[in-house]
Amino acid sequence: MQEMVKTKNNQGKNSGMEREFVYTFSSGNQHFVLKVPLKFPVQENVSHLLGRLMLLHNLPCFIENDLKESLSRLIEEKSIEDYDTEAEVALEAVKSGEVDLNQLANTWAKTYTEAVLEHTRPEDSSWDEDFADVYHDLIHSPASETLLNLEHNYFVSISELISERDVELKKLRERQGAEMDKVMQELGKTLSDHDVNMLAAQHFESQQVLENKWNNELKQTTGIQKQEYQEWVIKLHEDLKNPNITIGEEINVQPNQWRESIEGNGGLFEDQRQLEESFTIHLGAQLKTMHNLRLLRADMLDFCKHKRNHRSGVKLHRLQTALSLYSTSLCGLVLLVDNRISSYSGIKRDFATVSQECTDFHFPGIQEQLEVVQQVVLYARVQHSSKSKRLNDVGNKNGSCEDKSKNMEQNLSNILPGEFYITRHSNLSEIHVTFHLCVDDNVRSGNITARDPAIMGLRNILKVCCTHDITTISIPLLLVHDMSEEMTISWCLKRAELVFKCVKGFMMEMASWDGGISRTVQFLVPQSISEEMFFQLSNMLPQIFRVSSTLTLTSKH
Amino acid sequence: MFPLKDAELGAFTFFASALPNDVCGSNGLPLTPNSIKILGRFQILKTITHPRLCQYVDISRGKHERLVVVAEHCGRSLEDLLRDRKPVSSFKVSCIAFEVLQGLKYMNKHGIVHRALAPRNILLDQEGHIKLAKFGLYHMTAYGADVDFPIGYPSYLAPEVIAQGIIKRSEHTQSEKPSGPKSDVWSLGIILFELCIGRKLFQSLDVAEKLELILNLGCVDDILTVLAEEHGCLDIIKEVSENVLTLLRKCLTFYPSKRPTPDKLLNDPIFSEISSLYPTFHKPASLFSPTLRCANLTLPEDISQLFEEENSDYLAERSIEEVYYLWCLAGGDLEKELVNKEIIRSKPPICTLPIFVLEDGESFGQGRDRSFLLDDTTVTLSLCQLRNRLKDVAGEAFYPLLEDDQSNVPHSNSSNELSAAANLPLIIRERDTEYQLNRIVLFDRLLKAYPYKKNQIWKEARVDIPPLMRGLTWAALLGVEGDIQAKYDAIDKDTPIPTDRQIEVDIPRCHQYDELLSSPEGHAKFRRVLKAWVVSHPDLVYWQGLDSLCAPFLYLNFNNEALAYACMCAFIPKYLYNFFLKDNSHVIQEYLTVFSQMIAFHDPELSNHLNEIGFIPDLYAIPWFLTMFTHVFPLHKIFHLWDTLLLGNSSFPFCIGVAILQQLRDRLLSNGFNECILLFSDLPEIDIERCVRESINLFCWTPKSATYRQFAQHPKQTSEATCTRSLMSCFSSDYQDAPRSDLSRDSIKLNDLKSEVSPRISAEDLIDLCDLSGPSHFKTPTKKTKSSKPKLLIVDIRNSEDFNRGHISGSINIPFGSAFTAEGELIQCPATSMLQSFKGRVVVIVGHVAKNAASFAAHLVKIKYPRVCILDGGINKIKPTGLLTVPSPQI
Repeated sequence: MQEMVKTKNNQGKNSGMEREFVYTFSSGNQHFVLKVPLKFPVQENVSHLLGRLMLLHNLPCFIENDLKESLSRLIEEKSIEDYDTEAEVALEAVKSGEVDLNQLANTWAKTYTEAVLEHTRPEDSSWDEDFADVYHDLIHSPASETLLNLEHNYFVSISELISERDVELKKLRERQGAEMDKVMQELGKTLSDHDVNMLAAQHFESQQVLENKWNNELKQTTGIQKQEYQEWVIKLHEDLKNPNITIGEEINVQPNQWRESIEGNGGLFEDQRQLEESFTIHLGAQLKTMHNLRLLRADMLDFCKHKRNHRSGVKLHRLQTALSLYSTSLCGLVLLVDNRISSYSGIKRDFATVSQECTDFHFPGIQEQLEVVQQVVLYARVQHSSKSKRLNDVGNKNGSCEDKSKNMEQNLSNILPGEFYITRHSNLSEIHVTFHLCVDDNVRSGNITARDPAIMGLRNILKVCCTHDITTISIPLLLVHDMSEEMTISWCLKRAELVFKCVKGFMMEMASWDGGISRTVQFLVPQSISEEMFFQLSNMLPQIFRVSSTLTLTSKH
Repeated sequence: MFPLKDAELGAFTFFASALPNDVCGSNGLPLTPNSIKILGRFQILKTITHPRLCQYVDISRGKHERLVVVAEHCGRSLEDLLRDRKPVSSFKVSCIAFEVLQGLKYMNKHGIVHRALAPRNILLDQEGHIKLAKFGLYHMTAYGADVDFPIGYPSYLAPEVIAQGIIKRSEHTQSEKPSGPKSDVWSLGIILFELCIGRKLFQSLDVAEKLELILNLGCVDDILTVLAEEHGCLDIIKEVSENVLTLLRKCLTFYPSKRPTPDKLLNDPIFSEISSLYPTFHKPASLFSPTLRCANLTLPEDISQLFEEENSDYLAERSIEEVYYLWCLAGGDLEKELVNKEIIRSKPPICTLPIFVLEDGESFGQGRDRSFLLDDTTVTLSLCQLRNRLKDVAGEAFYPLLEDDQSNVPHSNSSNELSAAANLPLIIRERDTEYQLNRIVLFDRLLKAYPYKKNQIWKEARVDIPPLMRGLTWAALLGVEGDIQAKYDAIDKDTPIPTDRQIEVDIPRCHQYDELLSSPEGHAKFRRVLKAWVVSHPDLVYWQGLDSLCAPFLYLNFNNEALAYACMCAFIPKYLYNFFLKDNSHVIQEYLTVFSQMIAFHDPELSNHLNEIGFIPDLYAIPWFLTMFTHVFPLHKIFHLWDTLLLGNSSFPFCIGVAILQQLRDRLLSNGFNECILLFSDLPEIDIERCVRESINLFCWTPKSATYRQFAQHPKQTSEATCTRSLMSCFSSDYQDAPRSDLSRDSIKLNDLKSEVSPRISAEDLIDLCDLSGPSHFKTPTKKTKSSKPKLLIVDIRNSEDFNRGHISGSINIPFGSAFTAEGELIQCPATSMLQSFKGRVVVIVGHVAKNAASFAAHLVKIKYPRVCILDGGINKIKPTGLLTVPSPQI
């Protein structure tokens, strides 16, 4: 009797080879031969295989043990044989020079130096990180008070400088305005258009000169402040390490300096216009994770500005932001920008202005950071195009990709919708990280989908939030910063629904990336939106997200 | 697992390589993170137990693909021997070689290759024996494919390993060539050589030079001499014994085909003297093994010797797994330990942010983070905190007596504390170190005595089940016995069957938030267990939901598929009898009807509302019962729910269902149909402890026969069952299991059942509940204690003449015809006011005509009377018992 049986062919591994397992046994006078083709390397468990053989061929139980033994012996022997052949093929390749010995050894060495600490040259400790450690220690010590006072003093001197600048600029503009008025009156009489233009150009120039002068001064001052501050922090840290020395030069803030800041400019009025509602939600089908959502009617930059009108709030906010700066719970903000990396216009300019109101003692200023971004973007373009070229060579991609890369070549330094760059700040009131997400005019139209680059950008932003412990993120819900006429009620509702749903999807996805850490997501709508609209949106949110049930407290009898 | 003894616990960490951006697998689902793949593959290592191998204990995933592995650890390694810079004696070298080979052989038998053999990974225990560490790294990382770092140390890599190159992630091809067992033999050769000369080889060379040198050894005649010359130690080599030299030559054979395997080498005559010093190792038999568990038990001639070597460190006698579990409970934090030893040095996240991110998620401007490099130093986990925590635990706690009746045993102080702890909420008990220690020790002993101590396991499980022992305890509660492994092995789990496609679709959607179940290893196990069940139950079919049902068993018995399968096979007939029939509509329909009767029985108001808006159980409860709630709850809640469910009978799930509804009661009552559908499509958080507590309470209020189902499992041959059953309480025994008598419930047609709002109860139950003492010509199936019996009120709805002719004592008479007004209100009379004053008691409607009784009950439910039921068969059932009494004529 002969039987043949096909074992399951394992997922078509090409490297495997088939061998035949032959087993003979006799029962009474009859002799049986069992032939089983086996695919090597054998993936499955021997006892499973045995069980199948016994069942399929109706084999008698008395041969079970013997069969198992010979089966596993065969598998073991042949596997070793396979290992040996493969190993010797490789050794032969090296011996014959088919594989370059030198290159081989270097590849190994490279992997070791890149991945194993032991083989890596010790890194010279970077100043940034040392400072980070020192600062983190200090801000969590009693010295934090002193630190904040110092920061505040610097802040005050910068604001003085800025207000001085503003006054001077204002004066200049007034003077120029008066001059212009005069000239305009004379226009057509004694003076020609040309003269007016000349004057205008002259005015512009002198404005520029003045602005530059002030900007230089500001830059210089911040530079000095930063250096002083950092030196001082290091020194304070060293002093504190030495228990004998108490903090010698206690930095005190004149009480009137804190109070001075009460006289804000119209801050009170702005605050009243801010609307907000908070929700606690649960995400997930079986295992649920809890998150906080907040819907706010506010300006994006409200999170960045230091509010002058809060009496004690200034300090608390600062402390809160400072405490978490080097921690694992950062706060982020999504800013929608156009395709140029600069700070000349619109929200970019406003943001830059706000971030210059106070010296950043930890990170480079916004301008410097943007310069770095520009370089990185250029580098990324080069990397990416060479990669896509390689891809194009390998598999002929369709034209769309080429179109894209052609567009890119037109201006490599510009970024595309859906891409974003990141800046870091220590000087904003509630924000550590800003995501500058590039969007185009498409977001103003009513028909964007979940596949829109802006939405994909949001997803990537949330992913970065996951990998870099950004636990609070503020997103412009409507994907615009200002309202315009074409944004009707239905437009708003549709857009809000899309963003809510997409963010919900991304948050559920995030749970699988980071194991469901609780987060806060703030959705911001522009201030120009009506109260009614706001409440419509806040009614929509709990329909899309599952709001957690209210806690019912019952007393035990 | 072995007891801890002198060993310590060690932890080391590494990163799995990150996945490329947004790549999907062939099934369109996101790729499994490498760390999860590793976590899945790791599990099997926990079962590899050998005195020459460091026992693996646990793996945990941290942030950003970090993995921390916990294993047995010893402070000293061969590295320390080499540091002395003295040649090691030939005898010692052979001993070390023999022991290493023993370890290697055992690993190879389980299909594992070390690949990272080096002096630092050969540890020395207190008695100077060796233990191999990190032997599973190559296996768990899929031969190094899932990590960025190479596995192995340059000096010890075998030539063929170097020649085969590194599997690079980026150019990941299918033709990966894993190293075979012989590459470890080469590494061992180098290590032994180093021991012989007392110092390390290739110290002055850099990595590339080392590797080139090793590969060039192929052109050399006598590797040994060349190496010795190279290191200027020919003199020392000359003094090495001939045996060891032979061994070295065999190990350091350049071509693998000529190099022996560890197995061959062990049987080599060079070890003939040494091998007799080592007894053969028997793996201790597990609970469900077919062999005799005490087969290898050797008692000393003189029993008193056992007492002599008594030491007071009882904790060291517990298994490593238990000690680690307790260590965690006592506040052990792996990451913190590693941070303290500066193995984990993470930078503040704000310093590592990328600068620019493309639309496809590729990021730029991120500096290479040094903290992601491999530092494979093993950190010893200090047990001080745990020992401190347990210092007051008396020795008796480690060796509890397993008498059935423990009331005679004088209570020590600690046991008083324990009983105090037993009243704390379950969540707190599960985090309490001392309490868990006691429970684990107790369950460990009881389970070792399974099935003999089955009853006591039941008894203790009613208190709680320690999470560490849950898998085996559940198996014991389900009555799993016999050679489960052989049974499982005999099932064909490979041949394709039509159900495969469905299984393949369902598995990647089943409890995938869990790391274990979402790993490829988990999926493969799922597939095998589910297929095994489908194949071995030809009369039943795979219904979606079976996967969820399998999940808790697989999770608890991840390394023991056979047990998971056996548990599932025992569970389904008990709780889901015939639910998996191809046409299961009659079973489900009956089940759901009984369920809606239970809702009406326990919560008439809710029942009225749900019926009014048409929100019937068919719309929401099928996944609840078909999966026994595993589809709706996360695993940790299922565990607590099932801890109780397994103790209950097959009607307990009804009570759980009602308890869930009651938690959502307010929202259900205030909502209409659409909102209710939405609410249940994504079930809100349920407080599971409360749910369990309330379902037990509901269960106690439910007469046993109220949940009678004709399609439930009918009693098996009760010959062996009865002996154990009699000891269990009524809570766990099934109504169906009780011997049938005339007074039991008769089956009725499904349509009739559907038409009745309230459940029927049997005469038997009625008699039992009323404690009617009469000529007891039958035995009540189980004794209930007085306190647990619900209070009862019998309402006789026959006309008063019939009533006066004979009725059940204690019953009140409200004739059906004159009970209700046209509006459905009760007509006031002494009897109805009595009924009103007893609202809340179980009300049993007794009548002649079933229809009347049913409609009477329906009326009562309408006006929100809870716990209304009907006597099955009416008064006629009671008549033959002679329990009817005739009131003395009123004067």
